[in-house]
Amino acid sequence: MRLPALIGLLTGVLTSSGWAAGTRPLMLTGESLPLLPQHLVEFVLETVGAPAWLVTLGSLAAAAGTVVGVFLSAFALLSLIERKTLARIQNRIGPNRAGIFGILQPVADGIKMLTKEDIVPIKAEGFLHLLAPILIVLPSILALGVIPYGREWNPVPLELGLVFFFATGTMTEVAVFIAGWASGSKFPMLGAMRAISQMVSYELPLIISALSVVMLSGTLSLTGIVANQAGYHLGFIPAWNILTPWGLVAGMVFAIAANAESNRCPFDLPEGESEIVAGHMTEYSGFKYALFFMGEYLGLFAISGLGITLFLGGWQAPLPGLDFVPSWIWFFGKLAVVIFVFLWVRGTFPRVRIDQLMRFAWLCLIPIALLTLPVAALWKFSGEGALGWLLCSAVLAVPFIIITVIFNRRMAPAIRTYHYAE
Amino acid sequence: MIPLLILSPLILLAALGAVWKARPVHAALLLALSLALVAVLYLTIGAEFIGLVQFMVYIGGVAILIVFALLITRPGDEAAELDRRPRSLGVGLACVLPVLGLLLFAFSKGLPASSAVEANPALPVQALGRELFENSVPAVLTVGVLLTAVLIGAALFARETGDKPEPPASR
Repeated sequence: MRLPALIGLLTGVLTSSGWAAGTRPLMLTGESLPLLPQHLVEFVLETVGAPAWLVTLGSLAAAAGTVVGVFLSAFALLSLIERKTLARIQNRIGPNRAGIFGILQPVADGIKMLTKEDIVPIKAEGFLHLLAPILIVLPSILALGVIPYGREWNPVPLELGLVFFFATGTMTEVAVFIAGWASGSKFPMLGAMRAISQMVSYELPLIISALSVVMLSGTLSLTGIVANQAGYHLGFIPAWNILTPWGLVAGMVFAIAANAESNRCPFDLPEGESEIVAGHMTEYSGFKYALFFMGEYLGLFAISGLGITLFLGGWQAPLPGLDFVPSWIWFFGKLAVVIFVFLWVRGTFPRVRIDQLMRFAWLCLIPIALLTLPVAALWKFSGEGALGWLLCSAVLAVPFIIITVIFNRRMAPAIRTYHYAE
Repeated sequence: MIPLLILSPLILLAALGAVWKARPVHAALLLALSLALVAVLYLTIGAEFIGLVQFMVYIGGVAILIVFALLITRPGDEAAELDRRPRSLGVGLACVLPVLGLLLFAFSKGLPASSAVEANPALPVQALGRELFENSVPAVLTVGVLLTAVLIGAALFARETGDKPEPPASR
């Protein structure tokens, strides 16, 4: 592997160049590489002789800065990768003007957004109009702070990490409402109502499917949930929650609800660019508009990270022999795969209508999510083996088939006649 | 003590604003702010679980519900000023005075000696859950039944009477 060698080289350079000469030696391994800024700040502040509270504050700021920096760069990168991937799926070229293969496109986008005129409508409420984009970005960044990215890289190891995550998520709804209402126009208001009703509806399956994990892990701490998924069955099958009958179903429900919660196609009704007015962000321009997108993408990272933590084993390696690769690399590898699947889904599925969206959440996702709770208990008490697989699959399959049959036959909305678009 | 001194005036100001603001949506948002500040207060005294749940339930649930109710039940009327006649002042006083009296009564019975209160109770979630679902099961179940009844009632209220506006059927 070239990467461990590179990290080893970096370690050698840093330790020999005197960073480690202080009171507390700088431990630098591949595992603790992301903690480097934090350690550096601590080291510098301690050498200068700063008071203890300042050291703590600086260390916390550096930890937060690392997370924000990593994910803002990932946001810039993703905005390009998404356009390129979608272009590939749709048989186009995609951005190719700024830099080779369009790699400077995020920079160009950023400059464009910054230099655009910032328009505030006359009827808008100035302060609230400004507050909304900030409130959109804030919860996503807060939520990113509690996710364990690696064995040692765990910015805020809260005991109530999961509750914290969902508590910050509720702030988004208020922010969307403020955005819609403060714009002082009908269309943002309607869009905000549409977005909020979607978020409230899909929050239920999201939380319920996460609950089954909490039930079997017996902890609300995300670090604890990851630790519970350590080890391998039969020596090579990772003990991740997704590889159990209830986890498979809960994980799929979680993925669908996460997709809807982060307003992505096929559930991007809050701002379906090509069909309906851009919802609550209609009256925003310039960098405030960019902040909405930033919040959306950071939220996508956060919720994918939570999904990985809950169902895909967090930072655990997929095979026993692969532990020498730093754990955060596994986390980000899984994140890349999950995000790619989201892009794939976006490129593949058509947008749903609002009544289909609501029906799907309340009649399909929520019953199945509720079902995973007793099934998780059944799995626990039937010995977590072949018998468990048999029983749980049976219990899950029957209602699932019934629900889908009913959903398809009776509940499906009538086929629409398009009077003016035939 | 210092967080309390900083937060409580802010909470009070937000609550007063919620009462005095002329536009209903402003009032609802200020109410949400005051509830959020109460959640922060819980967090600062170490009651993390209750603080986060306060945030989740009151901001994500109650505040959004109020806003929805405001906008759906009074369409086109959202810019109207709230009723400020003396009658509503009387109703407000009638609501506030008993609560105030109760609080004063409780305080007159004696505050818990503030030095005896632990700075950080640090109640683990497991203990909280055990207390709720083992020792207080009847109360929790009663609340559950009550909420289910409310939900069914709400569904009945919301049910459309008369013809449902179906999307135009095919052929």
